[in-house]
Amino acid sequence: MARNDLTIAMVGSGGDGVVTMGNLVAQAAAREGLHVIETEAYGPQIRGGETSCTVRVASREIYAQGDTVDVLVVFGWESFGRFRGEISAAADAVILYEAADETQFEKLDLPLGEHARWLPIPFQQLAKDASAAGAKNIVTLGILAELFGLPSDALRRAIEKRFSKKKASVAEANLKAFDAGRDFARSVTQEVGHKELAYEPAEPRLLLSGNEAAAIGALHAGCRFFAGYPITPSSEILHFLSEWMPRFGGAFVQTEDELAAIGAVIGASFAGVKAMTATSGPGLSLMIEMLGLASMAEIPTVVIDVQRGGPSTGNPTKSEQSDLLQALYGTHGDAPKVVLACSDVEDCFHATVEAFNIAEEFQLPVLVLSDQSVGQRRETLSASALVHEVRDRVKPAPSDLTGYERYRETDDGVSPMAVPGMRGGMYQTNGLEHDEAGRPTSLHLTHEKMNAKRYRKLLPIRERHAFFRRYGPARADVGIVCWGSSKAAVKEAVLEANARGERVAAFVPQTIYPFPKHQFQEFLSGIEDLLVVELSYTAQFYKYLRTFLTLPEGRTHVFKRSGGKELTVAEVAQEIDKVRGVSASRRESVVA
Amino acid sequence: MSAELPVFQPADYKSDLKPVWCAGCGDYGALAALHRAMAKLQLLPWNTVVVSGIGCSSRLPGYVSTFGFNGVHGRALTLATGIKVARPELSVIAVGGDGDGIAIGGNHFLHSARRNLDVAYLLMDNEIYGLTKGQVAPTTPAGDKTKSTTWGNPEAAVDPCELAISFGATWVGRGFSGDPKTLVDLMVAAIEHHGFSFLNVMSPCVTFRGDEQFKTLRAKLRSLPEDHDRTSRQAALRYTREKDSLTTGVLYEVTEPSLLDRMADVRQKAQKAGPVKGTADVLATFAPAF
Repeated sequence: MARNDLTIAMVGSGGDGVVTMGNLVAQAAAREGLHVIETEAYGPQIRGGETSCTVRVASREIYAQGDTVDVLVVFGWESFGRFRGEISAAADAVILYEAADETQFEKLDLPLGEHARWLPIPFQQLAKDASAAGAKNIVTLGILAELFGLPSDALRRAIEKRFSKKKASVAEANLKAFDAGRDFARSVTQEVGHKELAYEPAEPRLLLSGNEAAAIGALHAGCRFFAGYPITPSSEILHFLSEWMPRFGGAFVQTEDELAAIGAVIGASFAGVKAMTATSGPGLSLMIEMLGLASMAEIPTVVIDVQRGGPSTGNPTKSEQSDLLQALYGTHGDAPKVVLACSDVEDCFHATVEAFNIAEEFQLPVLVLSDQSVGQRRETLSASALVHEVRDRVKPAPSDLTGYERYRETDDGVSPMAVPGMRGGMYQTNGLEHDEAGRPTSLHLTHEKMNAKRYRKLLPIRERHAFFRRYGPARADVGIVCWGSSKAAVKEAVLEANARGERVAAFVPQTIYPFPKHQFQEFLSGIEDLLVVELSYTAQFYKYLRTFLTLPEGRTHVFKRSGGKELTVAEVAQEIDKVRGVSASRRESVVA
Repeated sequence: MSAELPVFQPADYKSDLKPVWCAGCGDYGALAALHRAMAKLQLLPWNTVVVSGIGCSSRLPGYVSTFGFNGVHGRALTLATGIKVARPELSVIAVGGDGDGIAIGGNHFLHSARRNLDVAYLLMDNEIYGLTKGQVAPTTPAGDKTKSTTWGNPEAAVDPCELAISFGATWVGRGFSGDPKTLVDLMVAAIEHHGFSFLNVMSPCVTFRGDEQFKTLRAKLRSLPEDHDRTSRQAALRYTREKDSLTTGVLYEVTEPSLLDRMADVRQKAQKAGPVKGTADVLATFAPAF
């Protein structure tokens, strides 16, 4: 029976070209109008080493990378072994593996289904026979296209495009390799039709990563200054803006360290240009002192933190949600700043634009928490989804520039901000506490008053910029709260549960601070049990919620674990079942 | 519009804030010289930004009537980078002390020199930490006793001018706050220079280095010989790490493309890839066009 949702994983070592394969499948599927989620995973090696690429393609909307793979391509079992516990195959998966690999894979602790079909394939030999020894991956693509209904024409065009900058003979050789794969597949006698994709072609869709979406969001918001320092898994933002910022007439600087990056961003913004940096947890730690400066001097500042496993060098190529408390509380002193989160690729765009809107309107630092999972995965999107209103900072009116006071008290705490070049707007800004004119002072009363002024800005942000998502019915037995990339598995699990008739709901805030407290309390009032889900060993999100909310006593459950592996729909579903069980037995005991 | 502009006097660059510096501090001389240098250059106050980090001398932006940014310790040049790169038409002057610029901010100093950042950096070097009340600095001579070298400084001192020359600064000078006439001229030249200019101003700390620091420095004061070749790195380095003399003047000056020149080239190259109207053009590159 043909299917409308197929997940393919490819595993190999450097030089096997599994990422190219995955990219080509994703691009061809996007061309056909299919929905795609593509993820890559690497070992810590700089070149070579184990690599895996997983592509899920479907003719309906999908929210998560599939828990289990339908088709698994293994170029080497040793590489596969290095992803132990991270790639699970469906019970009826089709496994294509290198026939020449003599590794005793039966002895590997394989998380593979027992009804899986095993197809040993001489990938390397086929490539040699097609006089394309370096194109084993393209031969394999031909096999996959033929066996599993992937779009052959679109794949051929994707291959041609891929090699269009090289000699014509390169594209020709690769196309020959592709056809050789298809020919070989016709000789396969095992029945694999249950994994064949069927779909109606639709309008082509955009295919981009979360990091790219965030960088595009910055350009869309009017960011014309980027300074950054390379760090995995955020560097794609740096690379992207290195290419595009100058094309937009903006400035791009790769600084000597993260301290310089945030300093340059604050300087550029002080000078009146929208500015941003991007980093990961260790880099954010270095920047945090100066986020206090941005807060104190009231300078619009945007920082994207693409989280990875920590602490220290930690797990740099894998995702985790453990920078939350650092982002919220890392700064010394009482320093208002806003924390937003992105839960998917599209969110990376919107959260970044909104970060600029809030930073510019309220003159404070805004942190965007992304993570390796959403930052580096590619998803298909419709261009029409990437629209977002852009707002600018309040500039002084001519009347403000007579007797100008940079930090003048106002009802909402926002004072018109002059920029260099404005005659009459001159002021000296300070990391020191200062009075309304910006003059340094250590007077207690001024410190109290200016703290109040700076914190007052958060009220309208909470009222006007409360972003959150809600899934499932208003009244539910189980209500899940999660944030960021956990949304993928949670949303899919909730919708699946709803389809089975279970009353399960979810609340996913995108504004983490100031938290949409009232909306969340309303959510709480409609649910029986609360389940907090997060990828943090110490349950940072749960701890944070408890600082300002009384969570339902005896009815609050936490599912947390370290990152390093994406949250799966099955994990969430299992937790939902557990909570439902607890809830049911509690009701029985009340009746008894 | 220029016809309406007043002629700015040194006093016009003075703010109404009273410096927090101790009586007799060398920084008063540096500040007065800066006011006069600004007047000589007729810098438009509202187009000028004075940036600093933290330290006694880093309080200076508050005493100058221009735009000013007194940031955090060690990061003056990072802020200056952002300001100048974002708004090339502004005059950006970074100021600070030896602890701020050479210890905690040393990395930014080296890389600003390497980039040839279009900023004048005026370092007030008193060979001590003054604001935190008398600890050893990277410019404190070996053997000296300070609050944090009770038994004498076990470390060697660095000459900031040598660092600047080595890392690619295109203008390097040394001045003395007790010699205001030369200092004003040096500041004018540093601010006018195209690219990264570094002026090390020996600025005594009477409180923690004692009254005699002025006398000692003055006694060592020398001028550069007339035939000094300031375009020669070798010649310039001869006047660094001096023991018994303090040579003031322009040690080194060359013409190189600045960071902004090079960034303009990059922008031109990038724009040859085709005009961009908005993010829709960027998004279009993510459509599977085949």
